[in-house]
Amino acid sequence: MEITGDHHFKAPRDKVWQALLDRQALQASMPGCERFEEVSPESYDLTIRVGIAAIKGTYTGNVQVKDLDEARQTYRLLVAGSGKPGHVQGDAVMHLTDIPGGTLVSYTGEVKAQGAIARLGSRLLGGAAKLMIGQFFKAMEKQVEARTT
Amino acid sequence: MTSIADRPTLPKLIGERVKRREDPRLIQGRATYVDDLKVAGMLHLAFKRSDIAHGKIRSIDIAAAAAMPGVELVITGAQLAEFLAPMPIGTPFPSPAHYAVATDTVRYQGEPVAVVVASDRYLARDAADAIEVEFDPLPAVINLEQAMTGQPTVIHADFPNNLAVPYVPGGTGVDAVAGTVDNTAIDKAFADAEIVISQRMMNHRLAPSAMEPRGVLAHFEPGKEQMTIWSSTQNPHILKTFIAAMTGLSETQVRAIAPEVGGGFGAKINIYGEEYAAAALSKKLGVPLKWVEDRSEAFQATIHGRDILCYIDVAARRDGKVLGLKLKLIADIGAYNMLLTAAIPTLTMLMLNGTYDIPAVRAELTEVFTNKTPTDAYRGAGRPEAAYFVERAMDMLARELGMDPADVRKKNFIQPSQFPYATQMGAVYDSGDYEKALNLALKNANWDGLKAERDRARSEGRLVGLGLAFYVEVCGLGPSASLPTGGWEHAGVTIERGGKITATTGSSPHGQGNETTFAQMLADQFSIPMSDVTILHGDTGVVKQGIGTFGSRSQAVGGTVLMLAGDKVKKKMAKFAAAMMDANENDLVFENGMISVKGSPGTGKSFAEVASYAYVPVPLPAGLEPGLSDEAFWEPENNTYPFGCHIAMLEIDRETGEPKLLKLVAVDDCGTVINPMIVEGQVHGGLAQGIGQAMIEEVVYDEDGQLITGSFMDYAIPRATDFPWFEMDKTVTPTPVNPLGAKGVGEAGTLGSTPCIVNAAVDALSGFGVKHIDMMLRPEKLWNIINGGTA
Repeated sequence: MEITGDHHFKAPRDKVWQALLDRQALQASMPGCERFEEVSPESYDLTIRVGIAAIKGTYTGNVQVKDLDEARQTYRLLVAGSGKPGHVQGDAVMHLTDIPGGTLVSYTGEVKAQGAIARLGSRLLGGAAKLMIGQFFKAMEKQVEARTT
Repeated sequence: MTSIADRPTLPKLIGERVKRREDPRLIQGRATYVDDLKVAGMLHLAFKRSDIAHGKIRSIDIAAAAAMPGVELVITGAQLAEFLAPMPIGTPFPSPAHYAVATDTVRYQGEPVAVVVASDRYLARDAADAIEVEFDPLPAVINLEQAMTGQPTVIHADFPNNLAVPYVPGGTGVDAVAGTVDNTAIDKAFADAEIVISQRMMNHRLAPSAMEPRGVLAHFEPGKEQMTIWSSTQNPHILKTFIAAMTGLSETQVRAIAPEVGGGFGAKINIYGEEYAAAALSKKLGVPLKWVEDRSEAFQATIHGRDILCYIDVAARRDGKVLGLKLKLIADIGAYNMLLTAAIPTLTMLMLNGTYDIPAVRAELTEVFTNKTPTDAYRGAGRPEAAYFVERAMDMLARELGMDPADVRKKNFIQPSQFPYATQMGAVYDSGDYEKALNLALKNANWDGLKAERDRARSEGRLVGLGLAFYVEVCGLGPSASLPTGGWEHAGVTIERGGKITATTGSSPHGQGNETTFAQMLADQFSIPMSDVTILHGDTGVVKQGIGTFGSRSQAVGGTVLMLAGDKVKKKMAKFAAAMMDANENDLVFENGMISVKGSPGTGKSFAEVASYAYVPVPLPAGLEPGLSDEAFWEPENNTYPFGCHIAMLEIDRETGEPKLLKLVAVDDCGTVINPMIVEGQVHGGLAQGIGQAMIEEVVYDEDGQLITGSFMDYAIPRATDFPWFEMDKTVTPTPVNPLGAKGVGEAGTLGSTPCIVNAAVDALSGFGVKHIDMMLRPEKLWNIINGGTA
């Protein structure tokens, strides 16, 4: 399932870029994050708890930042997680651009599910992903704020 | 002597709308299903299933599950395979090994990989969830036509290009025995054609969705060395034979019981891995083991139906006469062969002549493995697919020629004088009067009036369409040559000492109402009240032999053999009565609970008196043995071929693309009718499932083989509010292949309804230049056509 969207930060692009790639900021922004461990630079193991309908459960998985291109202000985010309801995989390209009064972070990617999540929650998946991405950016806003003030 | 005048006259029951005697217990929740059964010491099974469609099992970690209190055993597929062989199939086609629980590779999402035995059902499920399986994923083979080229991979090493059954030709010019193919006739048909219609059509995958999911309780008693297995099955005798073979027991050591069964629709013909695993583990552990499927498992692990792709070419003259049909059928059978999997598309092949006298019909069948749940028999089992392809094609021909769809059919019908009619596909149709049924449907629907109504609606800008379809199907299976299990049925009739009748039938009803129809028959046969007749079924400890209930065979085959067993007992009873009355047995009549001399209705013996004498025969009449009980086996010399005509009116919302069924008229001919109410109920159910396929039901996998219609939230089965009032009627053309004249009706409703609805949808959207729409009629698809896109 394709997922695209964007989020508007009221902060300069370099600050947003830094925060998005910062271990602590990432950990603090992951919705329902219970564990966050760096396994190698730009790769983190984590446990998150999701409380949304058919995909409710505790997921353990990994987040990786790849293809980091500071000059073009883009990178790839790979997410994989498994829990009782099944397995979820996400692959998104993030792109930062300057806009008046701040920074626009746009993303375009794909979410795949296996198991009960696919069987029972496929039509909830898009909505749930959007919801969680929204929560992530909201929390990240606070992280950016903390870093700019 | 009792006077017959004292007795009320018993009404004849055959042909009457007798209410189903099964229903009070069913609607009051007083029936006993597998899930209701409890045996002392019983433990519960749960299956760990694959979340991926295709992959090698790298490791299975059972430690956490095995450590849970109350868990008695956790066993992997490889461990189970040490004492449980691959599952047998019932078709002669080559088949890859299929273990009850996967040993090293999983090939569809939902395939079991391990089994838990625990003290409680929910604990067993929790423990199954705690099993960690690591896979090395393989590419999922999902696209049917890509699969045929061996892409993206081959599922079973011994089946190149994923071909389970490769390119089997059939029909005109094909001599299967000699292995020769002569194209002269089919080539001539197409050379002579004034018009050729070609179309690709998909008859998509469905989930049978019986109200009661599957369930099994296996109880091996080590002391007696006897296995009792209760299962929600359509054929306990076949279950008994297969369970015995797979557990190393003799058939004399296995008793199979189908208690109340809440629907099967063909899906419960199979003997599934869960049943074999329960039996094998019960024998190993010496304890009763129970497993009941949940709905989520049913979507993944109970067989699916249909899923056949068809390329059809119709050669015809401009006057509507069809000269030839060419078809290429490609069946997506999923990951494995189940009991009858490979045979189902051969039934599609068999019925490709439809109801038409076509000089040349040639088909080619290919069956293909994919990483999906295996397919097998589902209500109609291969015949709805044939009816759909042929009836869509006839409709396309009518539209192309600007003819009324009824006229094109009349132009090509096999005529009553041509029966028995040997088709190009190898079937011999028993009897039929197709034009009569078509005319009745046209009259009941007020066809010309409907056309005017449609045209009026169109002039107002509404998208209204009319569709008609005519079907023939093969039922009453069958001679033994047509079934690997044997095509007979068995019945027993015992007249008890008090004059009541206990009868057994090898047909094992699961919603068909045979406790009622069979009691009606025996009540008439002996002229006793129906309340004095009890029909027992579904227990191999009680019913000596049997085949089961499928292929609309219960009445035609099971009903006939019951009548024959009844005749035997009746003859013997007449001998006892003759001895009592010092009369000639041939002069006796059974009437209103009395046996008396023909022409002397005032005298006679009551049925009960004669029965009582037969069990305490003092003196024993010469040449007679005590008792009144007998049995019969019988098989028909041919299948039966019921038929009918369905007409639909449908409107599509111009703004949303949503279709609404406005009218459905059905005329079905199933030969002699024992109970019209039950026949109508069967047609209702078939219509519901046929309409469901056309309009809202569809099993969908994503490109990775994930089943994304895994619950009733996403797999839509129709509800009462989705239907108009069904306007039903019948013609009666008895079959000559059994003495009852009954043909079978359980599947009929699914055959005519599906194509007539799609025909109506194409008619409704004909203004947009559309010639064919693949089912299901998704509003999005219809909206696209309305808005200038393609189907």
